[in-house]
Amino acid sequence: MVAALLEPLNLIIAGLAAGFLLPLIGQWRRGAAKGLFVLTLAYMAGLALHGLLGAAGGAPALDIQTAGIAPPFAINLRFGLEEAFFVGAVNLAGLFGGWYLLARLGERAGSLALFVVLVMGIDGMIMTRDLFNLFIFIEITGIATYGLLALAGTGNSLVAGFKYVIATSIASTFFLLGTVFLYQLTGTLNIDGLVRHAGLIVGPVATVASAMLLTGVLIELKPYPANGWGLDVYETAPPGIAAMVSVGVSAGAFFALYKVLPLLGDLLPVVAGVGGATFLVSNLIGLRQSNARRLLGYSSIAQMALMSAALAILLQTGKTQAIPWILGGLFINHLLAKAGLFWLAGALGRDQTRDWSVLSGHPIHLIGFALLIVALVGLPPFPGFWAKWELIMQLSDSGLSLWVVLVLVGSLLEAVYLFRWLGHALGAPTSAPLTIESRTSTWAPIAAFCAVLAAGGYYMAEARGFDMVWSLAPLYAAVVLFAIDALPGRVKGLLLLAGLGAYGYLTIPGLQGLAWLFALMLVGGGALISIASLRRGGAQRGYYPLLAMLLLSLGELVRAQTSLQFFFAWELMTISSYFLIARGREAGPQLLAYLAFSLASAFLLLAGFGLAYADTGSTLLAALGRVDAHAPWVLGLLAAGFVIKVGGLGVHIWLPGAYAEAEDDFTAVLSAVVSKGAIFGLLLAALHLGLKSGAVHAVLYVLGWVGLLTALWGALMALFQEDVKRLLAYSSMGQVGYIVAAAAVMSQLGWVASIYLAVNHLLFKGLLFLAVAGVIHRTGTRLMYKMGGLITNMPLSFVSVLVGIIAISGVPPLSGFGGKWLLFNALMDKGWYLQAALAFFAGAVAFLYLFRLIHTVFLGQRKLEHKDLKEASWITFVPQFALIGCIMVLSVYPRLLTDLASNMVAGILPAGLKWSGTLAESHLGYWDPMMIMGIVAGVFMVPLAVLLFMSLFMHIQRVKQFNIVFAAERPDRPETTHYAYNFYAFYDRALGFLVRPRATAFWDGVSEWIQTFAGALRVFYTGNGQTYALFVMAYLAAIYFMAGEVS
Amino acid sequence: MAYWATKIGYFSICLLVVTVYGLLLAATIARTMAKVQGRIGIPYWQPFLDIIKNLGKRTAISHGVMFFLGPVFRIAGGIGTLAFVPVLYGSEMFGNFTFAGDLLLAVYFVFFGQLGMALGAGESGHPYSAIGVARGLGQMTAFEVPFALAIISIVIQYDTLSIGQITAAQQGGFEHWTLFTNPLATVAAMIAFLGMTGYSPFDVVLAPNEIPIGPPTEFHSSYLALMATNQAIFAAAKLVLFMDLFFGGATNLIELVIKTWAIYMVAVVVGAAFPRFRVDQSIRFFLKVPTLIGIASVFFVQTLLVH
Repeated sequence: MVAALLEPLNLIIAGLAAGFLLPLIGQWRRGAAKGLFVLTLAYMAGLALHGLLGAAGGAPALDIQTAGIAPPFAINLRFGLEEAFFVGAVNLAGLFGGWYLLARLGERAGSLALFVVLVMGIDGMIMTRDLFNLFIFIEITGIATYGLLALAGTGNSLVAGFKYVIATSIASTFFLLGTVFLYQLTGTLNIDGLVRHAGLIVGPVATVASAMLLTGVLIELKPYPANGWGLDVYETAPPGIAAMVSVGVSAGAFFALYKVLPLLGDLLPVVAGVGGATFLVSNLIGLRQSNARRLLGYSSIAQMALMSAALAILLQTGKTQAIPWILGGLFINHLLAKAGLFWLAGALGRDQTRDWSVLSGHPIHLIGFALLIVALVGLPPFPGFWAKWELIMQLSDSGLSLWVVLVLVGSLLEAVYLFRWLGHALGAPTSAPLTIESRTSTWAPIAAFCAVLAAGGYYMAEARGFDMVWSLAPLYAAVVLFAIDALPGRVKGLLLLAGLGAYGYLTIPGLQGLAWLFALMLVGGGALISIASLRRGGAQRGYYPLLAMLLLSLGELVRAQTSLQFFFAWELMTISSYFLIARGREAGPQLLAYLAFSLASAFLLLAGFGLAYADTGSTLLAALGRVDAHAPWVLGLLAAGFVIKVGGLGVHIWLPGAYAEAEDDFTAVLSAVVSKGAIFGLLLAALHLGLKSGAVHAVLYVLGWVGLLTALWGALMALFQEDVKRLLAYSSMGQVGYIVAAAAVMSQLGWVASIYLAVNHLLFKGLLFLAVAGVIHRTGTRLMYKMGGLITNMPLSFVSVLVGIIAISGVPPLSGFGGKWLLFNALMDKGWYLQAALAFFAGAVAFLYLFRLIHTVFLGQRKLEHKDLKEASWITFVPQFALIGCIMVLSVYPRLLTDLASNMVAGILPAGLKWSGTLAESHLGYWDPMMIMGIVAGVFMVPLAVLLFMSLFMHIQRVKQFNIVFAAERPDRPETTHYAYNFYAFYDRALGFLVRPRATAFWDGVSEWIQTFAGALRVFYTGNGQTYALFVMAYLAAIYFMAGEVS
Repeated sequence: MAYWATKIGYFSICLLVVTVYGLLLAATIARTMAKVQGRIGIPYWQPFLDIIKNLGKRTAISHGVMFFLGPVFRIAGGIGTLAFVPVLYGSEMFGNFTFAGDLLLAVYFVFFGQLGMALGAGESGHPYSAIGVARGLGQMTAFEVPFALAIISIVIQYDTLSIGQITAAQQGGFEHWTLFTNPLATVAAMIAFLGMTGYSPFDVVLAPNEIPIGPPTEFHSSYLALMATNQAIFAAAKLVLFMDLFFGGATNLIELVIKTWAIYMVAVVVGAAFPRFRVDQSIRFFLKVPTLIGIASVFFVQTLLVH
């Protein structure tokens, strides 16, 4: 009895039965109908999932015969692993979707019946093995959909529904005609039979039949340009219905394609082409969307197109073993995220994406929204990430570089418009506040699907052989801290620091060389700088979970053994830094640029890793050294990705905004720590690939110039800034340029220089940003001309900044000089003379902004309202003094670091730097830091002593602020006496033409052209049903011609 | 220990000699200019008197700690630069601490003094001090470019960053001087030198004879004494550096005096003949022809000269 209840055939039976009974019972009692409805869906979902568990556990595919007769005389169904997966997913969506729509559907029992029949129809589409039966189920699904589309009752939805009717009717007619012709050719309607008789499917009739069959199935998947009707449906249908169309009906249609593709073997290139074009175009047009549901529609179409194209390519290249993972991952990701987003759209009731800013008052919903968007884009840890990774690897392995580019470009576009939407939600509310109904039936499905997404991601990670303890540690930490988010910020901060300490203690000793050093820098340095965040009071909700995720993902980045682990950690870093920056008050406009460039960087890395996999067949990072033919490309792609992340010249436009608008003490982490993650990657890539012969030299040469031009332009742009954080942001950009250039030299001196500069940068940038954060907190402004004379009130901050600027400028005796010495020796040894001159110039220009920083803030005239300003909080000085201590130690014992760096490349690069005691020697010059420090101390102390001695005999009077020699005038206001605004006006006159915002104009232009192009592509969406019908017909003609070309 | 005592002792002597020489040189130049203008000029011992007078002043005002430290930084920069440059080639007494660092250290030490000056000037609260410093730094970034190119050129030529070795390579007759073996680099460096000395046409930083502007605006008494001393030391240090790099160095004090006086006269003559540039003009100036000369010297050295 129980076994009979668990028969998969019951999916159809139960659906049909409910379909008949519901209207009858509905007449009698509404409540009973609703109960039966839910019960049926629950039964169907449970049945499907039971079958899935069985199939996943290894049970063989069930062949279900009907009418007691074997096919082809009767219809048979199959319930194998693939069918179980799709059916299970669709029925789950149906169950939760039905629950979500219960109130709405329950108004008329007929609607309930239609919904159940819809789910049943989709199940049938998936399970059936008979072509004509497939047509029947397509029709059933279609009819049910038509009925449900009318549920909204608005004029627009009825019109859209009618267009849907027209288009899908034509499509299914083609399908039927194709079936008829195939029957005529082979004598069977059974799909397996047709495959066996594939040899009979030849000739002109076969071409027409195949074209018709394919068109019929493809149209259901809404290809461009014959998909205007589909988009209108997404836009106007009630969100719950749109969800079912997007995830359910598409699933059925896709599976139908999957089933008939073996019959259409020749047409695989056509399917791939259609899928690829639709994916790219839909994502392009999605950029122009401001209607939330239409935007989701474009995304749905794009996702299904990607799946179709992936299927076709994998079949073509024979990589069929990857199909379940890739398509399964993409599908489940799409299903769960899309349904969740449609349901959320329904709950909010806001049509325009702009208006989603109302979510900022509802943190739980906002988190759900963010999670769904992150999952949809294909970011870890969700299933889409794993699927996309594998897809890129497979595409790269088959040498299909253009497809890799297409997939990544399309994904980037999709990410941009989805995150633009999320950005609206993260911003300040623009419309009236919203009270979201808290009905269980509204939020429970969304929450459930978020949970399933997370579980799916977890499962896929495990199936991939991922280290479930350490690699997912960032996520565990985030979850734990999120659970206790109500606690005061300081408590969470201390817990975070303890956690980081434990993590460091457990993981760092096991590392060596480059990884050890960077782990110390990223995790240790990050923890140190984060101490300053303890100054903040209140709960600081969301800050500590995200910060934990960020710092631990950086730790995992360094510990990665495979490119997948590296990429996983990299993406986690991207996500967490994005949300952390979003916490800044005015961060809204900066977020999209930050994300777009970060993801572009990530995708370049992905492409590089794919190419490396293609060359070596392994994803081990250590195997990068074996990359052969594609070494310049791999190095170039990886380097480009890392350079974008640190703000190289030309791709730096996101940097000043993101750094400036992020919370002040977080900017210290961003600048000092996060950019070092990218440097680590660059050094790793250089180490493995930099010594290969051939075009790699050209890549490194270009990288060197890029680094130094970035150094110069970063410095030039910094000196014109009025906002202190923007000044430091441009300074970061410039300083990291030196690091990149040093790495590009690929000599031992260059390597040591690069690492030395990187450590230095962490020390002094962290120091400067923390000191400045303290000043900003006290003065309440970021504009330097509104500060001034603060040395009297904030002497400790002054000392911090002073040490920082001496260290950056490279003035002896502090550690900066060592970096400069190493860099110049490396460049000149390599023969890069002009680059060395450029580095010198950039270093000189750096002086300008450093002076501006310290003068306009601490020296000069103090504003009257700042008379009683207090020094920054003592908590922020703990990390600052630690950093100063490190700088001092490094100034006197740089050998601690250079020896470590030299050992990393001991057998690989010939030695250029030799130490004898405290004297460092290179081929060209020498340097003795200890002695220099001693001489400088002496040279400083003697005049100081003289002056102090003389002052014993003098009467020194401390004068008031305005007591200065001022050409016989008497200044009375600091605003007119403090030289701070437009400090380098003369420099602007001399060299200002170099720093006009050309890169911004360029990227604005790129964005505008893409949008215009996308707009032009919309020309096919006339809104007219007849036109759409014509397009569907024309599509058949197009497919026919393409089929002719291919076969 | 005794070694260090000796070194410090020698350095003190060198410092004293250089200071006296620097002050005398300043007086000599002033007198020469005066003669050109039909005056007698200041007595030779005037600069010494000025310093003693300033040191002897019994009152002073202070604007704060940094103001106090500014001149100390400045003179530390001057003395430090001298400390790392060998004054006389082959001399134990006048070799200074050049074994601690090479040419890069000497060049970067110039910045040390600039920084200190900048800080001290800023603390005074006088906007003209700050404007002067800003202009001075701006000009410095510009003239450092041909200077850096010239240095790179001679580093390629002599394959070393050590000042001592560069000087050594120029011994054995004046035809070995960098002036004759690498004239382009010398020209570029000398043009940069004009910027460094702060004579016309690049003297907008101090804008002498016109308004009290520039870093020293607020300094007086002992502070001014230190700064005036530094002027002598720093000028002498730069001259010695240039002499070592481009003009064959000096093996005895007479040669030192003659050569440095001659180099200094170049700046003075140009300064007497030309009016002042605006600061943005001077920045652009250095980045045009002098930079091209510098780049040319780098290429010249690479292609024509072989190690």
